[in-house]
Amino acid sequence: MFYHISLEHDILLHPRYFGPQLHETVKQKLYTEVEGTCTGKYGFVIAVTNIDNIGAGVIQPGQGFVVYPVKYKAIVFRPFKGEVVDAIVTQVNKVGMFAEIGPLSCFISHHSIPADMEFCPNETPPCYRSKDEDVVITAEDVIRCKIVGTRVDASGIFAIGTLMDDYLGLIGS
Amino acid sequence: MSDYDSDQGSEAGSYAGSEAGGSGAGSVAGSGAGSVAGSGAESDAGSGGRASDNESDNESRGRNRSRSRSGSRSGSGSRSGSASEAEEDNRAEKSGSEGEEEPEGEDLNSDVEEDDEDEYDEEEDEDDEGPKSKKKKKKHDRFGGFIIDEAEVDDEVEEDDEWEDGAQEIGIVGNEMEELGPTAREIEGRRRGTTLWDSQKEDEIEEYLRKKYADESIAARHFGDGGEDMSDEITQHTLLPSVKDPNIWMVKCRIGEEKSTALLLMRKFISFQSTDTPLQIKSVVAPDSVKGYVYIEAFKQAHVLQAIQNVGTLRVGWWKQQLVPIKEMTDVLRVVKVQTGLRPKQWVRLRRGLYKDDIAQVDYVDLAQNQVHLKLLPRIDYTRPRGALRASQDIEALKRKKKRKPPAKPFDQGAIREIGGEVTSDGDFLIFEGNRYSRKGFLYKNFTMSAIIADGVKPSLSELEKFEETPEVVDFEISANKETGPGHTFSAGDNVEVCLGELMNLQGKVLSINGNLITVMPKHEELKEPLEFQAQELQKYFRLGDHVKVLSGRYEGDTGLIVRVEENRVVLFSDLTMHELEVLPRDLQLCSDMATGVDSLGQFQWGDLVQLDPQNVGVIVRLEREYFHVLSMQGKVVVTKPQALHKKKEFRNAVSLDSENNTIQKKDVVKVIDGIHSGRKGEVKHLYRNFVFLFSHVYLEHGGIFVCKTRHVVLAGGNRQTPATGPVNGGYLTSPRISSPMHPQGGGGRGGRGGGRGGMRRDRDLIGQTIKITSGPYKGNVGIVKDATECTARVELHSSCQTISVDTGHIASAGDRHRDGSFTTYSRTPMHSGSQTPLYAGSKTPQYDSSAGGRTPSFGGATPSFGGATPLHSSDERGSSAWEPSATPGRTEEFEDYSKSGPYTPANMYGSDRSSYSPFPSTPSPTGYNSGSSGYAASASPGSGIGPFGTPSPTSYSPRTPGSSASPYQSSSDSSDGDWVTTGIEVRIKESHDDDGLSGQTGTVKTVSGGMCTLFLLAEDRTVTITSDRLAPVKPQQNDTVKVIKGKKDKDQTGRLVSIDHVEGVVSFSNGELDMFPMDFLCKMSAGSQ
Repeated sequence: MFYHISLEHDILLHPRYFGPQLHETVKQKLYTEVEGTCTGKYGFVIAVTNIDNIGAGVIQPGQGFVVYPVKYKAIVFRPFKGEVVDAIVTQVNKVGMFAEIGPLSCFISHHSIPADMEFCPNETPPCYRSKDEDVVITAEDVIRCKIVGTRVDASGIFAIGTLMDDYLGLIGS
Repeated sequence: MSDYDSDQGSEAGSYAGSEAGGSGAGSVAGSGAGSVAGSGAESDAGSGGRASDNESDNESRGRNRSRSRSGSRSGSGSRSGSASEAEEDNRAEKSGSEGEEEPEGEDLNSDVEEDDEDEYDEEEDEDDEGPKSKKKKKKHDRFGGFIIDEAEVDDEVEEDDEWEDGAQEIGIVGNEMEELGPTAREIEGRRRGTTLWDSQKEDEIEEYLRKKYADESIAARHFGDGGEDMSDEITQHTLLPSVKDPNIWMVKCRIGEEKSTALLLMRKFISFQSTDTPLQIKSVVAPDSVKGYVYIEAFKQAHVLQAIQNVGTLRVGWWKQQLVPIKEMTDVLRVVKVQTGLRPKQWVRLRRGLYKDDIAQVDYVDLAQNQVHLKLLPRIDYTRPRGALRASQDIEALKRKKKRKPPAKPFDQGAIREIGGEVTSDGDFLIFEGNRYSRKGFLYKNFTMSAIIADGVKPSLSELEKFEETPEVVDFEISANKETGPGHTFSAGDNVEVCLGELMNLQGKVLSINGNLITVMPKHEELKEPLEFQAQELQKYFRLGDHVKVLSGRYEGDTGLIVRVEENRVVLFSDLTMHELEVLPRDLQLCSDMATGVDSLGQFQWGDLVQLDPQNVGVIVRLEREYFHVLSMQGKVVVTKPQALHKKKEFRNAVSLDSENNTIQKKDVVKVIDGIHSGRKGEVKHLYRNFVFLFSHVYLEHGGIFVCKTRHVVLAGGNRQTPATGPVNGGYLTSPRISSPMHPQGGGGRGGRGGGRGGMRRDRDLIGQTIKITSGPYKGNVGIVKDATECTARVELHSSCQTISVDTGHIASAGDRHRDGSFTTYSRTPMHSGSQTPLYAGSKTPQYDSSAGGRTPSFGGATPSFGGATPLHSSDERGSSAWEPSATPGRTEEFEDYSKSGPYTPANMYGSDRSSYSPFPSTPSPTGYNSGSSGYAASASPGSGIGPFGTPSPTSYSPRTPGSSASPYQSSSDSSDGDWVTTGIEVRIKESHDDDGLSGQTGTVKTVSGGMCTLFLLAEDRTVTITSDRLAPVKPQQNDTVKVIKGKKDKDQTGRLVSIDHVEGVVSFSNGELDMFPMDFLCKMSAGSQ
């Protein structure tokens, strides 16, 4: 789920940037440091939409570096258990398939793929194919899946998905 | 309590009931038979006539202690009907025969029975009294509740002094004039007695009693409807035994035959019923948990003696029967779940006999018979003749032999036949001398419980091996054995499911654990209070998507997400290995943190190169508790024990050649171009002979490690291109700048000497290095490599002023000054600036020098260098000029990077920066942004773009770059070459152009040939020819049509610039795709050329 929330971040700036462009630098640095990161609580920071406030910088004793507390608004993507999302299949193998939901990678075990879909390792590219050959899921396809579990660690979120529910599976083509 | 018991109970109950009904022996038989079956019948007896109606009471009682008896209770529900019916029949018949008032007679009967049950229950319920009193009152206020008070008082007071009388009186009455019920007068009399000890106000009591009395008459009227109605009104309290009830004697019995004795007594009772001397006992109880005793309920000891007379199994009990105190009577029937601790598959040892101290495995346990069925290795004396041959053996020898214990070994059918033994078969078993042997040679035999030791038995490994069928089984056994230690693996917070008893399938969460007793908060809308369970009544319960940790077994310590839950099997998707693991639910635990995994075990680490056998090596791709998974050179995964492995000593500088004869070494990034892994990219982890072990983040199997032949890989990245790849890129066939940007050809001073580039391949990695000679006459000397081919190196020695040729195999890098993965360019730089001093190489200034200074000559003086096909690159000229362009890419690329995006920091300042602010080298944020963003474009993960920020030193910055963002390198080096120039784009003529009139103008590229292009100048409306390196792309604005001029991706594609985001532009291609490019990858298309 996407949220637009206020967040804070401290920017550590090298003294060399002390000059007319200072705030610009701080902003740029915030973008690079924050966008694309992931925290367990808020999920992936997709984009900084607004920088609300750049606080007073505090010079670090002995270093000369300055810390700016920055308040900003960002769009974050936080996956939840039970959420239904669209994903792009990145890899298909016998244990299941890997898909990407934007920055979130998701594994769909073959246990969670409907039983009538079989892995066809000999196809190129390998794919999951339903018995009646109606549905073929291969890499790059867009699927709709439900997140059944997430694992959050320091640098990212990993999800386990399932296709075993109504209206889940290949969408579009 | 097993199902078996309760079944038996119900059977016995109904059987006895019908029997009794016919014979008119009434309640005696009924209750007796009920209890005969032991504990299973307890609730039968208790609830006999009333259980079904007292459901609610039962329920409340059940909460307190039902768990232990749940089996019986569930049983009672189904059969209470028939039992009570039978009982009622009895009563009816009896009272009919006596001609007494029917309700009264029945009343007494049930009284007697109920009372003894009552006390039993009362104890449990005492604390319930208070809060429940209101409800109770309603139930009490008839006859039953009334009796209870009496009983309580009796217990306390009459027990001692009036005991004899009471027993006598009631006993006899009960027995011989059973139908005599308590008349109203009698009851009143008792009540008066009660009030004597009661401290309550008299009028209160009177009123209370009056009410009761009135009620009683109503109850009496109801009696006609039958016992069930009656029982409705009686609480469990009335069931406790009092002095007026029969006593219970404990009679010694032959062990193991308690049940059969009870049944025997029942038969005896029945058969004596019609005789002159019927047995006067009330019941016989043989609870499961009591060994060696039966309980006989009777009013007098004489009755007991009469009953046990001539009963063989009770002969031991003839002389002494122990009276069970009234208080303890209820305990007789209390069901304690028997924790024999003996479970199938458990290991035990034998205590005595032929198999003394032998290990055995429990096949199954027969609690009733006090026996265990064991699987063990037989000790058969194969030297002793059997059958027909037996006669020949003399008895003395036989006896002598007997003293010796034959060795334990699997049953050998052939050997038996040889000694004349007869072996018959019975299904899957072989039978020899009455013993059963499995086809695998194990003996299956019954032993009594007393003959085995079950506690603390730990089979030795050799013993286990004998029993072992598959390693898996042993694994299971070991873990099962372990389990007996802590008893269970539950912990607070676990989700559990009840797997035994009536609350089966109830789910809940563990609140607390006290030994084997586990408090669970059930997940049920009706159950709000925590319940207590025995550990074995619970099992863990997991749901799809739970993140769990494996507590024991092969995968101990691993964590993962559950992808499938089945009965007794959970499939995990491991966090670490991206594999699916199958685990037993009991080995799992909910857990939020992630396993870091075992990275090292003993001397081995994940990713280590190990020697599998003298010919084969492999890389450890997975560490388990006892096994390693090793990826061998052949690409197969071998599972071995650590003991079988040797750590492979590796040369740090092992190098090998890739398919294009580039040297590759550890940490190089290579691309696989052939073989099964074709198309993958990876970092070199190990090199062994002609095999290379690569690591790739995107490869999922074996933790990302795979193996290739060195000839199937090619060194990746723009940093080390070989001449062979050069032409593909640019068309500058001979341009050194492309062909070997990172390996500038020699220093200024060496140009002439280096000479023959075509012949021997020069090992450029080596040149300029300080090396140590490791063998030969010059062993130990340190020097600088001045020149090197694949096999020999010219080394200028530090010590003596001479240059010698040394086999490259005999040198080792000394100190690794520049070579720890950093750009070799750095080490080469000094050469360009003409200095030979190695020291110079390390300093930064020359770099700045050469980048700033190097540029000028190249544009200015060395004009021919742009004419790709000109004789410029002939070897004689190279000495003066060729070094420059070749060196440039390495630097210029950075230089330009910074200058391009460096409105904040002048490039040259950066150059000096680098030496002075070493902790901050890659932070100059414009650069960081730039490379970050290009990293973004090149690889999906923004993380790689951020990487450079945190990197502390240029050396670690650089090696990283080729991996994630190889393209910027190449592209930026391209930019200096000018091969980005394509037709149709708008370019600006750089200021450096010598014709001032032209510089600064913009034009459209019309044609490109070699380094020259024709340019249509918009302002002057004419076409000029100009070298492409004088041109700079015109930065597009939003909505301009742009062409991608650099980078690997989508090069030469055109599209519309949708938006500009700082250093990146979003381009919409004609096919509708959107993509992001660094702005300097884009060039404006001229309006006319579209």
